[in-house]
Amino acid sequence: MFELTLQALFSGLLAGGYYATVAVGLALVFGTMRVINLAHGELVLLAAYVAYAAETNYGVNPVMAIPVALVIVGSASAIVYALLSRIRQDREINSLILTFGLGIILTNAILSIWKADIHSTSDPWFQDSLVVADTLFAMNAEVASFVGGLVLMAGVWWWLNHSWQGRAVRALSSNRAAATLMGVNPRKIEILSFLIAALLATFAGFAIYTGKTVFPALGHVLTVKAFIITVLAGMGSIPGVLIGAVMIGVIESLTVTYLSASLQELAGMILFLVVLFVSPSGLFGGGRALAR
Amino acid sequence: MSNPSMNRLLLIAVLAVAYVGVPLLFGGNAYVLGLIVAALTIAGVAVAWALLGNLGGMVSFGHAAFFGVGSYTSAVLAMKLGVPVFAAMLLGGVGAAVSSIAMLPALRLRGPYFALAILAYAHIFQILTTEMTPVTGGAGGLLSIPRFPKILGFDFGEKLGGYLIVLTVVVLAALAYDAIRRSTWGLALKAMHDTEVATRVVGVPSTHLKAAMLVLSAFITGVVGAFNAHFISFLDPDYAFSSGWTVLPIAAAIFGGYRTVWGPVVGALAIYLVDQLLFKPILPHGHQMILGVLLCAMILLSPGGLMPALRRRPVKEGRHAHA
Repeated sequence: MFELTLQALFSGLLAGGYYATVAVGLALVFGTMRVINLAHGELVLLAAYVAYAAETNYGVNPVMAIPVALVIVGSASAIVYALLSRIRQDREINSLILTFGLGIILTNAILSIWKADIHSTSDPWFQDSLVVADTLFAMNAEVASFVGGLVLMAGVWWWLNHSWQGRAVRALSSNRAAATLMGVNPRKIEILSFLIAALLATFAGFAIYTGKTVFPALGHVLTVKAFIITVLAGMGSIPGVLIGAVMIGVIESLTVTYLSASLQELAGMILFLVVLFVSPSGLFGGGRALAR
Repeated sequence: MSNPSMNRLLLIAVLAVAYVGVPLLFGGNAYVLGLIVAALTIAGVAVAWALLGNLGGMVSFGHAAFFGVGSYTSAVLAMKLGVPVFAAMLLGGVGAAVSSIAMLPALRLRGPYFALAILAYAHIFQILTTEMTPVTGGAGGLLSIPRFPKILGFDFGEKLGGYLIVLTVVVLAALAYDAIRRSTWGLALKAMHDTEVATRVVGVPSTHLKAAMLVLSAFITGVVGAFNAHFISFLDPDYAFSSGWTVLPIAAAIFGGYRTVWGPVVGALAIYLVDQLLFKPILPHGHQMILGVLLCAMILLSPGGLMPALRRRPVKEGRHAHA
């Protein structure tokens, strides 16, 4: 019983690692543009399918396909930005509907190219099991993407805190007008936030493809999950997002272990609604700035 | 176009065509009638969505929840408790309205938070429906749901009967939308859309009004869902809560113009028929992609929808003629 719980906590922790990479991208874009990009999960999915195409069509190790995926997902993300920035009236409602529409386009493009089948990597190394501390099991891919995700997020965190551009992203998030007056070019910084989000999305896509399974409807699920995590974290700091992501991961894996796999999504959503109603600014305060 | 008596005449003419002309023309053609019924089903949800979006100022990505709850409520009432089908259909709406009460706390959330919270609700209702196997039949669904009965020798269970029922539901929904828009409620809601704080200060109970719009929108969607359940006589959770019940109505409402009363109806007819007749044969998998393209194009090029865009033109030409 104890070991089972420990294993569930461990698996949840690992899942939280890549959930966080999805969520940080969503939160970055929300910070600079005040827009929830409902196509964000589809960008993650796009990266996963690039990995799939590279592996099945060209026999390339998925990791080798990361540069190609970066270019593709980066361009897709830039297109989303270009279209979003054209919206003038009723920005809040219309940008939601626009990104919702873009998500539909991406999902269905993936569906018509790769069909509705469920895919995962065929490279056995990723799925080989790794034993941690004698009792805890994980796949190589899960551990690799957890560690990779942490490194990537630490990098983004450092960038937000210490580089000029990172600080500009935070400035834009906290006060757009003041940041613009201080010489920040909002368009440049917005594009940058979309590109960083694409980088994180690409990484998450590869993590899912190697460690889990992908199917066209997944994009939507990922967007909702990333949103839930950012709400838990109060759209706040990167460490906050990481904690929120691990919470969701742990709750899901406990639900799967002790209740039923079909209730997995329910658990996270109920937690989300409870937090939303009890403390709409999130568990970690109403912080808007991304790095803290 | 702003002449009210002209508008009323036009409306009466369209209704006459819908109630008399269409049955006379297509009464015997089950295929065409089936398509029109499906399009009107989308239209009903689109009107409900537009009512919430325009008057309540809230974008919902979760109308599939109301559609599903309405259809299951009605089907279960009719099958397990023997409630007459027409009564069950209205109770389906009530069921959806009750389920929307669970969402009322979400009303204090703004913009994206509300949109995503309602999306989460839709998932929750779908999972609950799948898990409540003894009542809902679980993932296997419900088969042979009672159809609409014969009344005075006219069989409402047939395609033509179904057409008349769904047409009436859609017309009543649109008239209710219109009536609210013209009422003081509508005025208060419009003011709220501009500045919520100022509206509250002068004593408008803005949260109550938004709540009323949410419940009404859910009720209409539930009735439409219930109609669909009895019309096709089959339900399963994936179908009843399908994202299609959210995507198509949004595309329809945006396409027709969700700030107008009849825009969503026109949009639904146009989009559904074009989708089924043109795009589905070309792209059997993923033909929703075209809906996405349409949605994005409308938001970028004419966010007010097609109806206002068409309406603007004659006015401009009139001005040119005078000048």
